[in-house]
Amino acid sequence: MLYQTTEQHEELRNKIRAFAEEEVKPIAFMLDKNNDFPYDMVKELAKMGMMGIPYEKKYGGAGLDVISYAIAVEELARVDGGAGVILSAHTSLGTYPIYAFGNEKQKKKYLVPLCKGEKLGAFGLTETNAGSDAGGTETTAVLEGDHYVLNGGKIFITNAPIADTYVIFAVTTPGIGTKGISAFIVEKGWEGFDFGDHYDKMGIRSSSTAELVFNDVKVPKENLLGNEGQGFKIAMATLDGGRIGIAAQALGIAQGAFEHAVEYSKERVQFGIPIAHQQINSFKIADMATKLRCARFLIYSAAELKGHHEPYGMESAMAKQYASDIALEVVNDALQIYGGTGYLKGMEVERAYRDAKICTIYEGTNEIQRVVIASHIIGKPPKTESSTMMQQKGPITGQRKKMIFNSGTAQERVDNLVESLKNDGYDFTIGIDPMTPITLADRVVSAGKGIGPQKNMKLIEDLAYQAGAAIGSSRPVAETLKYLPLNRYVGMSGQKFSGNLYIACGISGAGQHLKGIREATTIVAINKSKNAPIFKNADYGIVGDVLEILPLLTKALDNGEAKKQAPPAVKMHKPTIKKEASPWTSYVCNGCGYEYDPAVGDPENGIAPGTTFENLPDEWVCPICGESKAAFVEVQKEEEE
Amino acid sequence: MQCVRKITDDLYFVGANDKRLALFENIHPLPNGTSYNSYLLLDEKTVLFDTADWSVSRQFLENIEYLLGDRPLDYLVVGHMEPDHGASIHEVLLRYPKVKIICSNKASMMMNQFGFDCQKRVKVVKEKDTMSFGKHEVTFYMAPMVHWPEVMVTFDNTNGVLFSADAFGSFGSLDGKLFADEVDYDRDWIEEARRYYTNIVSKYGPQVQKLLAKAGGLPIKYICPLHGLVWRKDLGYFIDKYDKWSKYEPEEQGVLIAYASMYGDTECAANILANELCQKGITNIAMYDVSKTHISYLISDAFKYSHMALLSVTYNLKIFPPMNSFVEDMAALNLQKRTVAVVENGTWAPQAGSLICEHLDEMKEMTVLNEQCTILSSLNQSTYDEICGIADAIVESMKAE
Repeated sequence: MLYQTTEQHEELRNKIRAFAEEEVKPIAFMLDKNNDFPYDMVKELAKMGMMGIPYEKKYGGAGLDVISYAIAVEELARVDGGAGVILSAHTSLGTYPIYAFGNEKQKKKYLVPLCKGEKLGAFGLTETNAGSDAGGTETTAVLEGDHYVLNGGKIFITNAPIADTYVIFAVTTPGIGTKGISAFIVEKGWEGFDFGDHYDKMGIRSSSTAELVFNDVKVPKENLLGNEGQGFKIAMATLDGGRIGIAAQALGIAQGAFEHAVEYSKERVQFGIPIAHQQINSFKIADMATKLRCARFLIYSAAELKGHHEPYGMESAMAKQYASDIALEVVNDALQIYGGTGYLKGMEVERAYRDAKICTIYEGTNEIQRVVIASHIIGKPPKTESSTMMQQKGPITGQRKKMIFNSGTAQERVDNLVESLKNDGYDFTIGIDPMTPITLADRVVSAGKGIGPQKNMKLIEDLAYQAGAAIGSSRPVAETLKYLPLNRYVGMSGQKFSGNLYIACGISGAGQHLKGIREATTIVAINKSKNAPIFKNADYGIVGDVLEILPLLTKALDNGEAKKQAPPAVKMHKPTIKKEASPWTSYVCNGCGYEYDPAVGDPENGIAPGTTFENLPDEWVCPICGESKAAFVEVQKEEEE
Repeated sequence: MQCVRKITDDLYFVGANDKRLALFENIHPLPNGTSYNSYLLLDEKTVLFDTADWSVSRQFLENIEYLLGDRPLDYLVVGHMEPDHGASIHEVLLRYPKVKIICSNKASMMMNQFGFDCQKRVKVVKEKDTMSFGKHEVTFYMAPMVHWPEVMVTFDNTNGVLFSADAFGSFGSLDGKLFADEVDYDRDWIEEARRYYTNIVSKYGPQVQKLLAKAGGLPIKYICPLHGLVWRKDLGYFIDKYDKWSKYEPEEQGVLIAYASMYGDTECAANILANELCQKGITNIAMYDVSKTHISYLISDAFKYSHMALLSVTYNLKIFPPMNSFVEDMAALNLQKRTVAVVENGTWAPQAGSLICEHLDEMKEMTVLNEQCTILSSLNQSTYDEICGIADAIVESMKAE
């Protein structure tokens, strides 16, 4: 056999390359610099019929093979890494699950406009506590009559918030790990479906990436993809194919950088000859070309297997892992060949250097690709501690009171909060300089993106004055919105707050932010989204709009007098939080008293932690005395008072 | 000679007391001795409910012989096979060769293990099986793991007597009394009853709860346990105690202070803590040196009080051994839902406190106060202040409850 693409493949390549060179290349630098999304490019690709390449014509696709799709991604990424992933995330992640697992009605409604490029697709699996391990998914979907109610959030979602159609994974049966996850088609614009942070990324900056927030989003029952509990299977099948797209993207980025480097090395003369002919560089170029050829073959081979409906999960993982690993090596060498010139903004190799890195991270880190490959060869490892156990570790900021004031009028909620703070010993007749460094401040009032336009920072300043606090913010408020200097944002990467009172206003509570306020004695959260993670990490919370709550809170803390100079801060004692009962239901053996605790499982007998008693196999017996399941009695829990 | 008492019509106490035994189960001190209760029903058939420990077998046998007179013994109901009740079965079989044994399947297997050749005479009964002995009809209820797996209780539907096996028992010899209403129970008995339950049965709270639920539906008039006094009045008082203990709920707001001290420095901290607590109005305190106090008393008070302060020196980089035993025993007995203050002492590497916290963390709903104190050899002003802070934290957490 001849390992070559067909004539049609190369025709397609030429067509996409011409488009990319003419339409994308000229604007690539600006897209990168301004973090802009190439709306026009997507429209043009749709016109060309390139938004549904590997899908059948009856669904509005191009009816081409998977290699054609890989070539299209490769050619776009060759000029702009971000452009490549827009197509890849749309085609592989946003569209494929509906194509492969949707019913005809869903396909007609969602697949056709996606394939035609009338709608843009995206895929939401990753969460704060669920990335490589989908078992940690915390977004929930609860069936209520003819619809599911979706709550939770997703992070790092490619094509959000531009995309129109989202395939979202959520837990429908809690406590049983990945088997309890289901997939849903969710449309942009539905009530309660909002977008959080748009990420300021290192590379692929023309690709849009954002956080998804779901607050009681009603998803019609008919938008369940496949059956309940199939979500994990759908996600894994989708990611198997998605890897081909990411591999092609890595290949394209590296190919572009390689071509630039070869060209430059021929032009650049040192010691009297083009540097290309100096052996150190010629060998480098030889190695780069070899790696690219290897990667290309791996990708096309995986694509061909997929197109022929052969097993391809291991091969696509190999392609993704290898192509992205060598992409980093190739872009590094390319930039090295460019020398100082390559280190300048505006140079393609500089952009490629940044763009390439994401390919070893997303759609399954390369570490996970190796797990996948190895599991095909040596099988799955014996089960160890499951992610469902890890969830039991509790909030990032440690045990908190979690008293959320959500009943009564806004004024009553504010009054309850102020009374609680005063009972805890906070004196609001004293004040400090609002610009006291965060690390030295005893109290901080912090603004998140929920504060809205910059004029609303006045509300934060007023509250900080009355609360006797310094002013801080979340990272995006300082970095992206630039409302405050960078040294005033609180978080793991910013300033750590270890004083007494932290009032988070319109901050949703990203992990890195919460890690910066772990030491706070008291955390107060004010946020309109009741599902914001900050509430699980706070002592007190008010669910409400900051624009309404902050003025009321400011007024409630105002005693009408100027603030007295605060005495030196004394760290207050964190209140002890009562240890809560385990969420699991235990069973005790009537033959010996052994207690089956689902959090522990029965690892010696192959029962993974997280297995509920009901889900133990019928043949399971007491590991101590051998009594059957029937000899166990439930440990009754206290009724909620 | 016989030493028997009538309980109600047809029913007699035929057990006996032992004040000579030093340790119950060879582990728990018995300053007041213990009773081994056995009951004889004289109906159309004669029925013995459990036997007694070998040490009192002579008295026990004389009691039966006296009451039976010329009559044969028809049945022996074995509710519990632990040898303090089952040891005399063999002797009963020899003396009354026609007796039929009624027991659970597991009890039958255990009799075999203990070497009693009685397989042919056993009638195995199941949950809610009934039997009539003439006037009296009884129903059997299984009570697995209260506190052995074979345990069965028997309810006499005719007169409302519950033969409750080890449930509702107590340490202490009877000294002529038979009924709980013949003593000042709160003054003279509750401490030993609690020490008995918490050290012998408390691990099996869920099973005790199941038994209480079963008993809740029966018109009980008498409770006849295998140790201690018979209940015929104010049954609710004792059932309520059992309900609390088996749910691991404290009986009283108060503090058990247990300290391990080698040269008196940790003891000093314990005294200061107790002193501070009393000054702040919390006087319901029991304080023990763990080296001087048998662990069964510590366990008993750990179940009694809502709060605990554990102060321990570090010994070979570990918790001081008697304190370690106490903490491990608490975990073994399933103690839950307490609030605990921890103080550690050490001269070069104090870590008893963090090790105690690790144990507590493994237990259910044991809340450790944030305020802790590490003493380096002996108290100074700052550790003194920390001890006072711990007293404040205890007061505060009591207010919260």
